[in-house]
Amino acid sequence: MATTTATITLSSADLLSDELALTTTSTLTQTGTGTGIEHTTGLAMKTITSTAKGTTSGQVVLYTADDFAAIPYLYVKNLATTAGHKIFIYDDTTSGDPLQFQLDAGDFGFIPMHGDKTYAAYASNNPTKMEFMVLGKDQ
Amino acid sequence: MATTTAAVTLTSDLLSDAMSVNASTTCMKAGTTADGLDQLEYAVVEIPTGDEYDLICSTPTASKASKLYVKNHAIDETYFVAITQNAQAIGRLYGGDWMFIPADFHDAAGDIAITSNGGTNKIEYALFHEGTALTTT
Repeated sequence: MATTTATITLSSADLLSDELALTTTSTLTQTGTGTGIEHTTGLAMKTITSTAKGTTSGQVVLYTADDFAAIPYLYVKNLATTAGHKIFIYDDTTSGDPLQFQLDAGDFGFIPMHGDKTYAAYASNNPTKMEFMVLGKDQ
Repeated sequence: MATTTAAVTLTSDLLSDAMSVNASTTCMKAGTTADGLDQLEYAVVEIPTGDEYDLICSTPTASKASKLYVKNHAIDETYFVAITQNAQAIGRLYGGDWMFIPADFHDAAGDIAITSNGGTNKIEYALFHEGTALTTT
């Protein structure tokens, strides 16, 4: 069985009166079991050229609904280096395409998704590069 | 300014060669690389099965940056919390899972809520932000 782990470290020396140093690791398993996940899309790097929600051309689809069994894990990072060059990730399955995440330059996100929504991204600037990967159990 | 760093490491032997993905970001206020997020809400709560709990009960000021970290400390791997934003499902955190999302929780549409399933889930969360619209009592 493959072993896949996700570790996050949140740290600050001056946000609080004492140092903040939080680290946690999760082993990614199939839903409700101790069995490790089996599949990944691999790490992708793509360029977003669309600057508006709903304009298919130039947007990047990060995940297609029900492509993986619940729960797929999404890693995404905005590779822009200029502050304010944002990536907007929205739910392309639900009516109204609700906006869910906003990544400013350099931001990353790690989200255990529900799995039944398609996620697409547009950006504030054309072009904007991003990298992303989905981990889970393909179906 | 405060300097807060978030770093993630993903490792796996799923592939024929070892995978190691690393990313790090300094949590900045909206649209700047010179001024870090300087406010924090950090808590641990136990949520009985079926109860919904608003993780973000105050409203960060409009168009400001926010980073939300949530971890489910449940040991039972069948326990989970469902996470919604403005009543739309984002995902589920099973026992031991965590999430980190950058977002703009600037109005009612940015509301984040969680619902406990399977049993009592112990949730740790931290919201790094740059200001809230406080509610007058």
